[in-house]
Formats: sequence, C-alpha cells, structure tokens
Amino acid sequence: MTKSARGYALAETRLTSFDRQFAADARVQQPDRYRLLGALPEHQPYVPRGSGASYVAASFGNGATSQDMSQFNRLLAFDGERGLLHVEAGARIADVERFLIAQGWYLPVAPGHPAASIGGCIAADVHGKNPARDGRFSNWVEAIELWLPGQGALIVSPDEHADRYAATFAGFGLTGTIVSAVLRLVRAPDAFVVRRVPVKNLDEAAQVLREAANVPLLYGWHDARPGHFGRGVIRVGLEADAPVKRGRVLPDLPASIEPTSIQRWNRLGISAANAWLGYRWCRPGESRVALLDAMFPLNGARNYFAGFGKDGMVEAQWLVPNTRFTAFASALTELVNKSKPRISLVASKLFAGEADGLAFDGHGIALAIHVPSPAQSSQRAFLDALAACAIEHGGRPNLIKESTLQADTVRRAIPDFEAVREHLRSFDSEGRVQSELTRRIHL
Amino acid sequence: MTAIIIGASSGLGRALAVELASRKQPLLLVASERRDVEATCADLRLRHGIDARALGMDLAGEADPSARVLAALEGMPPATSLLLPVGVSRRDDDFSLDAGAIGQLLAVNLHAPLAIVHGLLPALLESKGTVVLFGSVAAQRGRGRNVAYAAAKRGLTSLAESLRQRYRTRELRVQLWQLGFLRTNLTHGMKLPLPALAPEDAARRVVDRLGKGSFERYLPSWWWPIIFLIKRLPWFVYRRMKD
Repeated sequence: MTKSARGYALAETRLTSFDRQFAADARVQQPDRYRLLGALPEHQPYVPRGSGASYVAASFGNGATSQDMSQFNRLLAFDGERGLLHVEAGARIADVERFLIAQGWYLPVAPGHPAASIGGCIAADVHGKNPARDGRFSNWVEAIELWLPGQGALIVSPDEHADRYAATFAGFGLTGTIVSAVLRLVRAPDAFVVRRVPVKNLDEAAQVLREAANVPLLYGWHDARPGHFGRGVIRVGLEADAPVKRGRVLPDLPASIEPTSIQRWNRLGISAANAWLGYRWCRPGESRVALLDAMFPLNGARNYFAGFGKDGMVEAQWLVPNTRFTAFASALTELVNKSKPRISLVASKLFAGEADGLAFDGHGIALAIHVPSPAQSSQRAFLDALAACAIEHGGRPNLIKESTLQADTVRRAIPDFEAVREHLRSFDSEGRVQSELTRRIHL
Repeated sequence: MTAIIIGASSGLGRALAVELASRKQPLLLVASERRDVEATCADLRLRHGIDARALGMDLAGEADPSARVLAALEGMPPATSLLLPVGVSRRDDDFSLDAGAIGQLLAVNLHAPLAIVHGLLPALLESKGTVVLFGSVAAQRGRGRNVAYAAAKRGLTSLAESLRQRYRTRELRVQLWQLGFLRTNLTHGMKLPLPALAPEDAARRVVDRLGKGSFERYLPSWWWPIIFLIKRLPWFVYRRMKD
C-alpha cells in the first residue's frame, strides 16, 4: 500500500477481467470525495474504473492506476415530468433502473450485466435489448460531466464541447473521467409479453428479427453444436398492459464470479444444456416477464458463467451487414461443422444504426458467440477463423466484448480505426489513459 | 427529529447518513466540502423522500463551528441526534509534524467535536437527545505514531465521561464507540492485522443503538477483550510493541 501526502491511498490488488482472459496486479485508487478525483500525480498513467464488470480488461492493466469510481454512485436529480435523471458515473445500471421503474420511468438501453456502471455504459457505448429500435446508450445521454486531469470538471453535451461529448461514447475513458451524466428516460411499461418464435437456422432468425424490428425487446438464442448450428428461438417482447407479479427475485449478478473447479462446458455439458434449452424454449409460446427480469437476464446465468471454470471464456461479437448476413451465416455454419469448436451459446440481435467511431453499430445482424477455454489451440484457431470470416463479410467487432482481438485484426475490421484513435488521443495528448484494452488493440 | 452528522462526506459518516435516511430520519450533513454532502443529500432525498440538508464547513478553520450548524438547522424538525464520525489522520503524525499541522489535527479531531457538542447542548437537552462520539482503538494507549490523533481521540473519551457525569441518561444519552478497523479510504490498501468492518455494517449497529442509553462500546465488539489485555500489558512489554 502506498499513501501520498495529497490524501489518497493506493491498494495493490489482483484484478481479473470478467471473461478471465487477463489478470494483473493493479494499483487502485478509490476516491470517495470529489477533491480526490484530481489527487493522482501528474503524468502518472491511469484509467477510470466502474464496477469492473467488462468482459475485457478495459479498466486496469498496462501499468495504469485504476481510478475506482464506485463511491460516485449517487442520484443527483430526477425530473419526473420531463423524464431526466442526473446520476453519478459509478452508479450501477440495475440500481438506477430499479429506482426509475419505481417512479414509472426507465432507461430503455441497458446492458445485460446489472453491475455495469453508468460511466462504463457511456465509455463503451453499450446496446440494450433491441438496438435496432433504441440505438445505443449514447442516444439517451443529454450531457456528461468529465474530470480532466490538471484542468478539473468540464460539462460536455451536444451544445457544449460537442466534439469531446461525441468522442466520449465508445471512447474507453480517453476523453476524461466520466463523473456524472444526465440521462433521458421513457415511460416504463408494466411488463413485457415475450413471444417465442422458433427458428431452424440463422438465416430464418435474421428474417424474424427484421420483421419484428420495432419491438422493445428482441434477441435470439441459438444452439451452436455442429449439425444443429443456428437452430434456436427469437424472443420478441411487447409491452404488456398489466403488471406481472415477479416470482423468485434473483440477486444481481456480481461483477466477478467465482469459477467452478472443473470446466462444465465440455462437449457433454454443452450438449445436455442445449438439448434442455431446445426442449424448453424452441417451441412457440409466450410468457409475461417483469421489466427488471427482462432487462437483466444474466441474473439467472450465475452458474452458467461460473461453469467456464478457471479457463474462462471469450464472447466474440460480430455485426454483419444485412446484405452479407446470409452468406456469412452459411460460411460460419460450414466453419463450425468443419472445425467443431466448443461453443456454449450464440445470441443474435438486430442493429440499425451508424457505425461511427469505435462504437458497435451498423445495419445488420450481430452474433455473440461464447467460446469456452479460448487459450486452447483449437478454440483459439476457431476464434481466428471466425474473425477472418466475419471481416470477409464486412463484419464489425465489439471491442468491449472480445479479449482475443489483436490490433491488426481490429484495423482490418474497422478501416478508419487509426483516424478514430488519433482523434481520441488528441483529448489525451500525454497518453495517460492506459489499460490492457488500449495496449492490446494499440488504442 | 433531525439527526446531524459531522463528517458525512465518506466512510462511516456517509454510511450513517444512508442508514438513518432508510429509517426516514431528517438529516443535516456536514463536511469540509459542500459538494460531497450535497450529492449525498440529493441521493437520500430521491431514494428515501427525506429532508436532507448539506453544510460545507472547514472544521479546522472555524472558531465556533456550532453557530453555522445551528443556523443550518433552522426550519428543520428539532435536533435529536448529533453524530460525530469526523476525523483526520496523517501517516507522518509521529512527532515530525510542525505546530500548525498538530493544531489542524487537534482542531478537526477534538476542538470541533467539543465546540459543536457545546453549541448544540441546549437543543439536545430540550429534545432529550443523543450525542454519539467516535473514538479509536488506536488511541487506547499512547504510541509512537498517530500521536496528535490519538491524543485528540483520548480527549473525546474524556468528553463522553464529562457529559455522562454532568447529565443523567434520561436528560441526554451519550454514546461512545471505540472503532476498530473500517473498510474506508483510511485503510484502503493497508494490510491490516485484524479484519475490517464495512462502514455499512458499522452504521447499522450504531443506528440500532441510538436512543438506547449511554455507554462506551467497541465496534466490532471483539475488540473489547483485545484492548482489555493491551491496557493491562506491563509497560516494559508494551513499549516493545511497534504496531
């Protein structure tokens, strides 16, 4: 432990990314007063850290001091007439949604992990349950307060410092530490009626997704076993006109999960789970789901994530343009049938936005593919082949999800990456903001 | 029935504010920087629907801090609890401080609590309220570090005794908590010889006991036998202990 005369303490802590692919001993500052935001010595590399729930190591590593913002988790102002919430960046998305829903409002874009911080949602510009309808997190942010090292607080919005404001979304902390944000809300529905539409393959899934584009909740689950690849179900959620009584309320998924001692997602485990899910889900039907349960389905996935064991997993998420998706789905099916990787889950979503900056967006279908034990050579070979296949079909990677993406792959997938990088670094000319993510992709 | 928390910006003070707000207690939160307590007040108003006010005040620079506290209380329900989890320590508090730095430590850790208790005493006697003081296990016997801090905290023990000697419990409850390690910024990153208590757990225990008599207790309670033994160690043994 080191302590400075400037009133802050640093803890030496072992930090691990959510997917367990990167761990490092990191120095962590935990400011609990505004004054301490500016306490780190000048020139020292640092990176803001929300709840530390990101799949990749976006908030630690590469010699940086992690500035843990978890104490900045307060609600600062709520306008129940106009639907605006001013909240500190360390507040967790599920806590914010719980407060809002009690007031009759909600934030329609929320990532699946309930522990994600508001600052993290902005820094990665996350998407929610139907990005085709609701867009990215940035669509719902009116203004942001940043803390700039050596300069202090700065409010950015579409009207003030608009360039820095825009770059803060999917800016991974490079434009300044996010301290608070004003969020725009919509009226909360009582619940969702979620309809299940079984699909035989990914091509059929894409059709169902496009036809249902304008609903508040829309995503698919797919079997990824060779011979079954793409079979699954699309969940189409519509607003219900009456509240639903919540059954067993699950605790929020923690930011880090203790892994099981053995890897559950071997071929037998994957086969059994897919058969069971196929039997349960892959038939027409509908159910009523409470809003919070629909927003944070990962709360029911604690054992699933623990089951990856110490080897962990990788979530590769690629967004392929609509015009190329059929060919991509066919090539991917062939790749899976040929290389027979272990894949525990494939999820599909529809996107209809613009791919600006480093944000994960575009007009197309995104597939999130969970690959256990990615360090194994056969699994890694599949991930590399998947990236090549996706890039060949115009795919765009989600940088906040996949920790095996290397700098050259990212540059091939995002042609204007260098220009975006230079723009982001213009806000951090000293290159102080560092993390394992920035090191790995040379951001 | 307003509770006043001096030193409410972080750690135990903020946790006490959250705990009291969850029990619908109106609050006046005092800290050196107004923005910190203003943010907490806003949060508590929204989440718990209580009346919460913020007062920023440099305790080391105020000759009579109680005057501003009393002014800030205007229009609020009568003050019934005064909690003083205020404190500041320095790693170089080992006989190497100059007089100015020693004065600041004494001002925040002893003078301000004493002066605020003095100033609010009439209001607290009228409401038959509670004064809650916070000492430290680090101040139970003098050591070669935390010198001024421990001296000030020992002063609070004396203040608690004086109040209890002067007023009967039915007139004024006086509660003194001798705190062990808490998981706050003060201990962030430290390798502690004994477990640290989460501020939220400490706050729950303190608030549970509010209004329940006058006492001196250790928090966590298992510190009591440890301190009992330390206090009875022969001097020639104790002076060889470095931590």
